[in-house]
Amino acid sequence: MVIAALARRQKRTAQLLKVRFYSAAKWNAACCLNQAAPRTNPLQTPRKNLLATALLGIAWTVSVALGLRILFNYETTPGQIGAVPPAWPSASKIGRSNDRPTLVMLAHPRCPCTRASISELAKIMARAQGRMDAYVLFFKPRQSGAAWEDSALRGSAAAIPGVKVLSDVDGVEARRFGAETSGHTLLFDRDGGLLFSGGITQSRGHAGENAGERAIVSMVNNQPSARASTFVFGCSLGNRSQLGDKARCLK
Amino acid sequence: MLEIEDKRAQSSAGADRADELFQQHRQEIYRKTDQLFARLMLFQWVAAIVMAFVISPRTWAGQSSNIHFHVWAAIFLGGAISIFPIWMTRIWPGTALTRHIVAVAQMLMSVLLIDLTGGRIETHFHVFGSLVILSFYRDWRVLISATIVVYLDHFLRGIYWPYSVYGVLAASPWRSIEHAGWVIFEDVFLVISCLRSVREMCFIAHRTAALEASEQNFRQIFEEAPIGMAVVGLDDRYMQVNARLCDMVGYSEQELTTRTTSEITHGDDLEESKQLTRGLLNGTARYCVEKRYVRKDSEVIWATRTACVIRDESGNPRHYLVMVEDITQRKHIAAALEQAKDEAERANRAKDKFLAALSHELRTPLTPVLMCAAALEQEPAIEPELRQQLGMMRRNVELEARLIDDLLDLTKVSHGKLQLLVSGPVDVHSLLIHTEQIVRSDARSKPLRLDLALTADEYHVAGDAARLNQVFWNLLKNAIKFTPSGGKIAVRTINPAPGKLVLTVNDNGIGIDRQILPFIFRAFEQGDTRGLQPSSGLGLGLSISKAIVELHGGIISAESAGPGLGAVFTIELSTVSPFPSAQLLAVQPEQSQNKLYRLLLVEDNEPTLAVLTSLLRRQGHEVLTATTVKSALILASDHTFDFVISDLGLPDGNGIDLMLQLSNDYGLRGIALSGYGMAEDLAKTEQAGFLAHLVKPINFEQLHRVLEHFAPAA
Repeated sequence: MVIAALARRQKRTAQLLKVRFYSAAKWNAACCLNQAAPRTNPLQTPRKNLLATALLGIAWTVSVALGLRILFNYETTPGQIGAVPPAWPSASKIGRSNDRPTLVMLAHPRCPCTRASISELAKIMARAQGRMDAYVLFFKPRQSGAAWEDSALRGSAAAIPGVKVLSDVDGVEARRFGAETSGHTLLFDRDGGLLFSGGITQSRGHAGENAGERAIVSMVNNQPSARASTFVFGCSLGNRSQLGDKARCLK
Repeated sequence: MLEIEDKRAQSSAGADRADELFQQHRQEIYRKTDQLFARLMLFQWVAAIVMAFVISPRTWAGQSSNIHFHVWAAIFLGGAISIFPIWMTRIWPGTALTRHIVAVAQMLMSVLLIDLTGGRIETHFHVFGSLVILSFYRDWRVLISATIVVYLDHFLRGIYWPYSVYGVLAASPWRSIEHAGWVIFEDVFLVISCLRSVREMCFIAHRTAALEASEQNFRQIFEEAPIGMAVVGLDDRYMQVNARLCDMVGYSEQELTTRTTSEITHGDDLEESKQLTRGLLNGTARYCVEKRYVRKDSEVIWATRTACVIRDESGNPRHYLVMVEDITQRKHIAAALEQAKDEAERANRAKDKFLAALSHELRTPLTPVLMCAAALEQEPAIEPELRQQLGMMRRNVELEARLIDDLLDLTKVSHGKLQLLVSGPVDVHSLLIHTEQIVRSDARSKPLRLDLALTADEYHVAGDAARLNQVFWNLLKNAIKFTPSGGKIAVRTINPAPGKLVLTVNDNGIGIDRQILPFIFRAFEQGDTRGLQPSSGLGLGLSISKAIVELHGGIISAESAGPGLGAVFTIELSTVSPFPSAQLLAVQPEQSQNKLYRLLLVEDNEPTLAVLTSLLRRQGHEVLTATTVKSALILASDHTFDFVISDLGLPDGNGIDLMLQLSNDYGLRGIALSGYGMAEDLAKTEQAGFLAHLVKPINFEQLHRVLEHFAPAA
């Protein structure tokens, strides 16, 4: 309808200015065939150009569609989730708060996808308004030096008010919490019971409103939440040798 | 109708040209925007790769890492998105298909970049920015394609990967419409902008077409002008020339535009040309000069060069506009005409000379006859019958003299030298009565009835009595001549208004054809003379009469109802108060007081000399005669004279020289007698000191009056 209105408007303009616009049929024909120049005779167009254009157009369509499909699959394929304990693991060295919920995020300091998770954590912390303790445990191989921990991601996490950043040497804590993918976030109540487990991004590396974020904020604010778990998108916290082919962002 | 059709055709041609210009302009915009997007696509591809390397260079699994998938996506998917539209802009520049593929690719690039940046909201501005850049095409349809891609992206991902766009596992289809709605919101304004741009382009196209048409029109006028035209620089060099100028000077356009005007100007005209050109720079509006150009083949041509200076808005001279018209042929014709005119004037002078000589030769033999007849006619002792015959002889001689006078008068009229001798108020009635007496015998002999009805109360006019008498005589003689026997001629005078005298000569003769009527006052024109004697006139009388009447400030006209219906000649004159004493001088000789003079008569024509001597002696004058200048001088040295009466043409000199000498040596006064009566003859005798110039044949009474008039005081 809008297009029809625009076409009518254009026709009025053409009548007003006594200038011919291309009709829809001419326009379509021009699109497909002979619009090298308005005065060009289409019969003079080289046949090989037409053929090459058609073939390239098909190849372009197919390749772009395939590429996007792969990209979208990659973006929306979640990482692995281990055996998440129903309550705060007793072996954990992290101090749980007894008077309010405690949030724990397991993250890889070099994972680019986790940047979005840290960003979302900042929003959650802002909306929780101090009614929750939060820890971000960054994976740290035992043999690694100080440079391993010196990442922008760790700095971003440390800059979030109320968030305590710790190193998880060799991913011991991650395993205790059943986290295998960077960005895995768990929320425990004051009694240590698991309230939520999953990611806080809508897809891989994509910041923005998401189900995990909404669930955590609701739980912290003692509001009912429809979800207690979501997918986790991020790099693997374990080594290839430990996790096989599913060890990286790309599953 | 044809004009209307022409205008319609021109209008249609103008619209077609405007359409063509519009299409060209639009095509240029399409092509340039295509090029812009080709470069943008390439830049975006590279930027995507760089971005992927910066944001997510590697993916990790514990301590091990590999190149991140985004890097590969930027390289390969980015390439796939960009290469084809870039190729299209090269192979199909300006086509609608290319534009739409570019639009789709640009939106796909937005999708890729958003993904690569982790869905940052800032990256979403790439979509809106891309729409703005797409509007550079000024083709709103392109925005539709781009918007469809945005909508499909959200719609399909909402169906298949809702979590990736909405963060939920199942999203309503309206979410995709909501997202696309913001894009459409921008589209609306961009479409309006596109339509406005197109309208402006149309307007520009029409203006450009109109300007082109105007320029074409002026160019055509310049190129096809029937005269040479050129634009000349301030350095005197031809900047632009038309074909006519090239033809004129024999140079091609290329040759001429490498030359200065001075190079093809004739050397004699060069300085004047430069001076005139300097004048233009000093404020002269334009100049027009006849000058000579030297053609390429060295032929010299004459041309009229008109030039003006063209100034810019600040008034500073920019160049000259020169128009050159070839007048070589005109110059040749003018020269030929001048030569012909000189020849005609020479011939005319020869004719006048011949007429004067002819007149002289014809008059000279008449003088003794006329004088003799006039003298004998006044002899009281002769028989009445002989007196009548002598009168007839005198009149015929006078007629012959009149014909000769007419020839001379005609020459005077044609030269505008006919002069009046205005002596005072002339009594027209007396002149008419006198003329009637002269022609009465002719009328009676035919016979014709000649009536005079002189009823005007005011009948005096200021003029030359002799000339007016000549007019009346001509009219009456004509009426008698062209009225058959038994006919009637009526002469009337009336005063239609105070101060106006109208004289009509009405006859019931052969009349005048209406076709001839307008020409009868021309010399040598006569009405229908069939049935008349071949020697019944020269056709000069009316022409001379018209000139005389007009010299008197009057009007002469002729009317006739047609052949056989008679004719009316009308003269209108202004009257004056009568002056009783002198009016009849011209027509009625005063009574001689018989003063006696000592006269020296110089005449080489023996009969004239004899008759004139006899007549003068009979009047009581003392007359000594000479036939040559020499003998006249001898007599003048030995005797005392009151007057010398001398012919002008003498065997050993002329009367003018004689008069000059006699006047200088003895203070003698003289009267010239000559068969030459042209204006220049009269002027010469006046300059020589003659008191009067009497043209032969001499009426003795006339001579007598002159003598009385110039009589020395007692």
